[in-house]
Amino acid sequence: MTSVARILAVWLTPTVVLAVPAALAARGPDGLWLGLVVTLAPLIALAWGTDRAPGDGSRDDETLFPVVTLLITVGVLLWANIALAGDVAAWLGARRWQGIVITAGAGWLLTAWRPLRRTAPVLLAMALIVGVVVLLQLAWALALGPIAAWDRVATQPAFRFPPSSPWVVGGRDLGVLHGGAPLAFDEVHRLTAPAGGILRARTLDGARRADIEWTLAPGQTVTLRAGDEISRGSTLRLRFEADKRVPGSPASGMLWADARPRRGLERVGLAVTLLAGAAALLRAGLTVRLPRDGLGFAAGGLLLAFVWAQAWAVYALIQAPDLFLGGITLERLLELPAHALFAEPWRRTLQALLLAAGLAAFLASSLALRERLGALDSTGGGEIGHDPGLWAGLFGGAALASLWPVDPWALSLLALGGAGGALGPAALWPPRHGRTAATAGVIGLIVFVGLAAVQLRGAGGGPLGAAIAYPALVAAPVGACALWLARRGRR
Amino acid sequence: MRPVTTRTTGVVLLALLLAGFLLLGALPNQAAAIRVAGLSLLWWYGGVLAPVMAVLVAIRWLAEPRPAPSSDE
Repeated sequence: MTSVARILAVWLTPTVVLAVPAALAARGPDGLWLGLVVTLAPLIALAWGTDRAPGDGSRDDETLFPVVTLLITVGVLLWANIALAGDVAAWLGARRWQGIVITAGAGWLLTAWRPLRRTAPVLLAMALIVGVVVLLQLAWALALGPIAAWDRVATQPAFRFPPSSPWVVGGRDLGVLHGGAPLAFDEVHRLTAPAGGILRARTLDGARRADIEWTLAPGQTVTLRAGDEISRGSTLRLRFEADKRVPGSPASGMLWADARPRRGLERVGLAVTLLAGAAALLRAGLTVRLPRDGLGFAAGGLLLAFVWAQAWAVYALIQAPDLFLGGITLERLLELPAHALFAEPWRRTLQALLLAAGLAAFLASSLALRERLGALDSTGGGEIGHDPGLWAGLFGGAALASLWPVDPWALSLLALGGAGGALGPAALWPPRHGRTAATAGVIGLIVFVGLAAVQLRGAGGGPLGAAIAYPALVAAPVGACALWLARRGRR
Repeated sequence: MRPVTTRTTGVVLLALLLAGFLLLGALPNQAAAIRVAGLSLLWWYGGVLAPVMAVLVAIRWLAEPRPAPSSDE
């Protein structure tokens, strides 16, 4: 893999690109850390240590371990991004399966149709240009530069529903919220159910909590007070009041900008996960041969993506503070955050451009991931990357799995962490023998799977909290130790 | 022992840029929240300075060395 554009396309999948503005909007400083690590991790991974020289080590000694691990990693990354497409479709009012079929079908067609296989750089450039154009249009319409926009967000006394918000104008179905954040109210708020339905809430009466269920007729309203909370599972359409605080939002812009950071170890865990994941995804089993200034260009592309993410998050918070309602999820960042800023049909055009940019980024990533896997083929022919049956299976499986909503960012972290624990150490410090790398990789993977299983069971917290939240924090160092021991044993 | 290459220097500098963010965030009395020209110190560092420095480090220290001129030139 020698093209800077392909490296960027492998790393900057839509899920990763959108995770940064989502984290920035949700918790400013923690999102900043995520964006910084996403920007720097691939550079560190690509520049670290030495490449395996061509012909170094015995080809007979190669194992299928890196191929199988990366195949699973690519499959999970496709799953995460196709699930995101389903979320976007559902958020914008279409059927979930429609977003999934369009995305998975286009991805598979592009990987199967030979003449289009070299289009990843063009698609990535299109996605970047369109994303930047829409952002500039937003900034121009608001007449605010990015720093002035940040200052406005950071000095807001509270995040309130704008009168143009779809949650205020016509209301939206609560069922589309799946961020997991509680819908807790900080002030008296009158809610209207335009189509009626059943609303369940936990109300606070003095110090006593009570679960209440209202059956609302179409147009009927109910008033919740500070401390009340809408229960999970309410799926009716609700209309909120304009100029009232968004439930679940930070108390003020200042608290958003200067929120207390997570524990240091959790930040380190995120960094180790992304660093090891970048090493596995971009280097494992390859001899990276970039043009002389390749890493400079890659760094420029990553910087552009990070700047876009920061500006997008800030403009979104100015125009659509209702992002906080129910927790910020990735698909909401693909909706143009300007409900009253543009007249039709300009608004629809910008929204379509934004979706086209997302699709182009996904297609570029799919092509680059296919090529990445093909480059690993031990026969040198790249058959893995060209097998239409295999890719139909991957896209089909990912599309089927995406029918059930999952958190795309959590899936991507799982894929990167698993690949990082299994392949990261050997990618950064390549041993002479494939079996040495495979042995260390299996040990790292076992540790990762064990900790990930604990995470999936919902356990966590305590001194092991960071290791359970980011299993690669332990798996990658354990894999590196195993690699070191195995290399010493081989001498 | 492997020689220290310009790439090693670059990798160390990138790691230091990351560490700088953690250190800045850990300063007492929320010193990183001090506003300078519209942005807090933490946002200046994490959102502007560190990523731009990373590009400069990549250009200056991570570029492949120029190939040696051939002897028949």
